[in-house]
Amino acid sequence: MFEIRSRTGRIFLQIFATVLLIPFAFPLVVMVKGAFAGEGLGNFQAVLRVPGFGRFFVNSLIIAAAVIVLVYVVTMMAAFGFAKLHIRFREVYFWLLLACLTLPEVVLLAPLFATDTKLGLYDTYWAVILPLAALQVPFAVLLTRNFINSLPDELFEAARVDGANSYRGFIYLVIPLTRPIGAAVLIFTLVAAWNDYLFPLVFLQSPDLQTITLVPQFFVGEFSNDQTKILASAVITAIPEIVAYLSLQRLFERGLSAGAIK
Amino acid sequence: MTGTSTPTLHRAASVSDEADGGGRRRGPRRPPGLPWILPALVLSVGLIYYGIGYTGYISTLNWDGISPGPEHVGAHNYTRMLHDPVFWAAVRHTALFFVLTFVVQTLVGLTFAVLMHSKLKLAAIYKVIVFVPVVLAPAIMAPVFRHMFAPDGELNAVLRHIGLGDLAQPWIGQTSTALPVIMFITIWEWTGVTFVLYYAAMTQIDPSVLEAARIDGAGNLRTLRSIIWPELRGTTVALAMLGAIGALKTFDVPYLVTIGGPNYATEFLGTYIYRQTIPLSHVGYGAALSIVLLVVALLMALALQFAGREREGR
Repeated sequence: MFEIRSRTGRIFLQIFATVLLIPFAFPLVVMVKGAFAGEGLGNFQAVLRVPGFGRFFVNSLIIAAAVIVLVYVVTMMAAFGFAKLHIRFREVYFWLLLACLTLPEVVLLAPLFATDTKLGLYDTYWAVILPLAALQVPFAVLLTRNFINSLPDELFEAARVDGANSYRGFIYLVIPLTRPIGAAVLIFTLVAAWNDYLFPLVFLQSPDLQTITLVPQFFVGEFSNDQTKILASAVITAIPEIVAYLSLQRLFERGLSAGAIK
Repeated sequence: MTGTSTPTLHRAASVSDEADGGGRRRGPRRPPGLPWILPALVLSVGLIYYGIGYTGYISTLNWDGISPGPEHVGAHNYTRMLHDPVFWAAVRHTALFFVLTFVVQTLVGLTFAVLMHSKLKLAAIYKVIVFVPVVLAPAIMAPVFRHMFAPDGELNAVLRHIGLGDLAQPWIGQTSTALPVIMFITIWEWTGVTFVLYYAAMTQIDPSVLEAARIDGAGNLRTLRSIIWPELRGTTVALAMLGAIGALKTFDVPYLVTIGGPNYATEFLGTYIYRQTIPLSHVGYGAALSIVLLVVALLMALALQFAGREREGR
């Protein structure tokens, strides 16, 4: 964007960017430095030795995977229906769905708590999976519908002329053609499910079921005031997220800007 | 990451209008689609509207969440809000929080986006550092920030080290700095999104327009103000909506870093609803607060959408 011709100008810009970056890097430095303070690697060993630590990862994985599958299937079907099939009052349904985008999850606490205890869902994975998926679907449908809208109608009409029903059109056209936006949906859903704190906090009581976002609290109890262990546990839980981001960097950024670029 | 929803939101209407027109003309030839959207409707609309309806009902009760046969109190929970200083403090914090975090994120995100488009060295690394906070769970970073802002924490250590020891203070423990700390953490978390969206939007700007401006003698800052910034308006409106809804949803950071304190200095609507509903068991009052929060969120989204569209039309 900027054209800097002089050398001093370029150096100034580089320094400016670096200074601006310090507040962003500082917390990360604090985290890593604190985790290695005192016993160094011993902190990590102590954290990993705590029985049940791996369980948090497994639980987060199970919940995230279930939410992703649910959101993906339901979203692809709905986006296809909205974009290419005949629905009376289609926009009414669509706006009903869109209004859900503004919903803060805290609004659902009391009703879900009451309902979950009645249905026996309280303190099961489902108590977290279902509301998380429900909150992700509206945005995923919005994104995917826009994408499928841009696919030519002729494609679907030709398939129909050739005798393919909606189901075959979905499997052989929609699923393969929506791969780029499908990847974006997958990433959003993964981050949302993996990072969610409120639903696991309220709906998962037994330690066997709790997710990684509850790890810090667990360790505050476990190691009382030993900050270094708590920071070591933060580093360990952050590693999978950073690795996932670095290996899927393109996908993350493309997915994020998928909505912003016309 | 529901927050990322908004970029398309402000355009959703125009897109769907088009599709609707096309659909109606060809309508009869298309196979029925209702069964296809039904699972999504049952899951999302079903669960969410059921929850909202239930919350609306609970908001008329004086209920602790457990005991059977709660007392119906009509609109009492709503009138109680009017005289609740903590509620109004939470509203003020949310508004201030939205304005300041939005302005700072926009300035910093825009600056990074421009810089990264200007042949900066090590740009790939800078980008990763700005964006990594977006993927890290606030719940996991909370202990890090508690440690960093503690009286004997890293921030004060650095201040003392560079001779600014006078500025060292208990950042989290005093009312004057607790809210700015929460804002800092939020800005740290979300500037990556602002940056990536602006960065992507800038790649869409026609280079020949920039070239023409330059030939006309416009400097870098002039180009930024008169050409780049107006081109980014759609993204800015979307980010404003994202920020407003995000502010109304704020829970994790104040709950985990400052527990809404000290002395309610960092109480937000989200944390206040949680406090009333779970630890205090004022489920009816919590539900009434939830309904108010929801109405505000919807009104904000609508207002920003109309503001955005009016401007685009001009």
